[in-house]
Amino acid sequence: MRNVVIIGGGPAGLTAARELTKFGDRPTVLEKNPHVGGLSCTLEYKGYHFDMGGHRFFTKVDEVNKIWQEVLGGEFLRRPRMSRIFYNNRFFHYPLKPLNALMGLGIFQAVLVVLSYLRWQIWPHKQEDTFEQWVTNRFGHRLFSIFFKTYTEKVWGIPCSELRAEWAAQRIKGLSLKTVLLTMFLKPQKTIKTLIEEFDYPRLGPGMMWQAVAGEVEEKGGRVRLGEDVVRICRTGSRIDSVVVAREGREETLPATDFISSMPVSELILKLSPPPPEPVLEAARRLTYRDFLTVCLIVGKRDLFPDNWIYVHSTQVRVGRIQNFANWSPDMVPDPSKSSLGLEYFCTEGDALWNTPDARLLELAARELETIGLATRADVQDGCVFRVPKAYPVYDASYAEYMVTVRGFVDGLENLQTIGRNGLHRYNNQDHAMLTGLLAVRNLVLGEHNDLWSVNTEAEYHEEITEKALTPALEEYFPRIDRLALAGATGAAGGLALFLATILLVLKGGAVVGPTLGLLGQYFPGYTVSPSGAVLGLLYGFVAGGALGWTFGLLRNTVLLLYVAIIRRRVELGLLRRFLEFV
Amino acid sequence: MDDPRALEHLLVSRMVRFNATVQGVVTGLVLGLIVFVATIWLVIKGGPVVGPHLSLLGQYFIGYRVTVLGSLVGFAWGFVVGFGLGFFVTATYNWLTDLRHRSTPRA
Repeated sequence: MRNVVIIGGGPAGLTAARELTKFGDRPTVLEKNPHVGGLSCTLEYKGYHFDMGGHRFFTKVDEVNKIWQEVLGGEFLRRPRMSRIFYNNRFFHYPLKPLNALMGLGIFQAVLVVLSYLRWQIWPHKQEDTFEQWVTNRFGHRLFSIFFKTYTEKVWGIPCSELRAEWAAQRIKGLSLKTVLLTMFLKPQKTIKTLIEEFDYPRLGPGMMWQAVAGEVEEKGGRVRLGEDVVRICRTGSRIDSVVVAREGREETLPATDFISSMPVSELILKLSPPPPEPVLEAARRLTYRDFLTVCLIVGKRDLFPDNWIYVHSTQVRVGRIQNFANWSPDMVPDPSKSSLGLEYFCTEGDALWNTPDARLLELAARELETIGLATRADVQDGCVFRVPKAYPVYDASYAEYMVTVRGFVDGLENLQTIGRNGLHRYNNQDHAMLTGLLAVRNLVLGEHNDLWSVNTEAEYHEEITEKALTPALEEYFPRIDRLALAGATGAAGGLALFLATILLVLKGGAVVGPTLGLLGQYFPGYTVSPSGAVLGLLYGFVAGGALGWTFGLLRNTVLLLYVAIIRRRVELGLLRRFLEFV
Repeated sequence: MDDPRALEHLLVSRMVRFNATVQGVVTGLVLGLIVFVATIWLVIKGGPVVGPHLSLLGQYFIGYRVTVLGSLVGFAWGFVVGFGLGFFVTATYNWLTDLRHRSTPRA
């Protein structure tokens, strides 16, 4: 009898648990927090609901969407989306609108932006190893500095020049030409438009979804145990035997046949007993995370600003993003005369900001809110602070190397699968985290061999499958024409055609042989409708036909490349306009 | 094609091949239609002498005249010649391309 323990009650873990119950299993979910939802939770303070990070419910994965609709259905609200960037005491539309951006910057700055753009178009970075180089080559350094640099550095805490290409590559994978072309074939433009203008959102935030899923799991005989921290994972060789959980100082051992874990993979390695070899431990210790804290403020005014959220690029304040929860869902705010805001500060667990007392953080947030001009300090009536550890796995210079070691060891554990953003140390969004949970269960129950590490942010797993079917078609349509071969073929056809046309008339004979065809002599010196003219016509036809074929091939190849370049550019622009969502 | 850059590589390194029969049929239909429409057009326009130049095609297309019936004969001839031309050009192109890129795997 299969007995599955799932470590982590976030989207990945709970999706896995829900899927297992469909197969008649009764999994046990262990969640160390007193609430479910993981990074996608809703926290409550005096009846106000706060979404940690702001989670739009949008996915291109049909199975995930189906789960959302099955679980919450009528509880979803279709919300209009508005977000802006605050920079240099001005607000800019986000996704970026070129005209709005240039107007907002002022004439002088706009001219510098254009000049910078031209300069980097003419003399780009020869290598695109970093995020900075990648964006600069496409938009110029000045635009990069204004709209990408400060926010990205606030989020990650390291200079953009040190953000490795690997990070950029994963986040911008959608820009590979192949994906662009697939986008043309597979994704209707309407979807993209919808994504930009509106989104679905549970009435009481994302936590509502996960509370409902936890309820479903328990209804079907599974268990969701909150506040239970896994302190040890016991193994014999490459098999996990049990996990030890701690609750209020007491430990309990839970044996199982199979384990699925969404806890940070580095923690998992460090909690193994007996421990893995030292190089694996060392690699796990080297994996790092970025954390954030949300200062939640209750403000005594309604309709402070129309945005769902605002990106704060200005360096004069430390806040990175501001959520206005009433604009996500009015039900998040119990008092309609007030607003609740979430000021998000990106930091690293244990650093000065993380350790700042809540009272001082509340003071800082109120002050910065006033600096930005969204409300006065006097308007702030109450507040609290929520800290979110390990929110983002960091892709630093050496993470990939450490991940090879960690993954190598984890893959060797035969009855354990890791899932979710932190379980895989991949920057997956909620929907992809859920997908890893689904696929892990299929591996376990159906004996499938889904590679969970391949499920990532922009490469749609299911589209990858469809892609395999589409690839031959793309290969058929997009390769170049061989100009010389075409010239040879059309030349041969032209030469033969003229030869046959001439010789046929010669053979037919008559008083005047081929007076009309003979007019070709105007263009082909020496050509006549005669036996020798037929041979000469063969040569002329070959040359003229060949020239025609070669020119056609050249034009077709050029137009094809231009076409592809234009599509690529358009998609690059489109993605860059909403790039902050991927930061 | 697992490498996301593979298509870029494909664009600059791979040469397209065509289906000779398909190209033949398409060229045949186009040429047949051109002859048909050109003939019918002159027939409808009418006049003392109908299509003196176009009727020269009769030198090659046995039975062809600038008449309604001739337009159908012209379509048939146009298709045959067009098919032959399209098929020949495509087959020759594919053959030459294969000769020039023996090491490039076919799509």
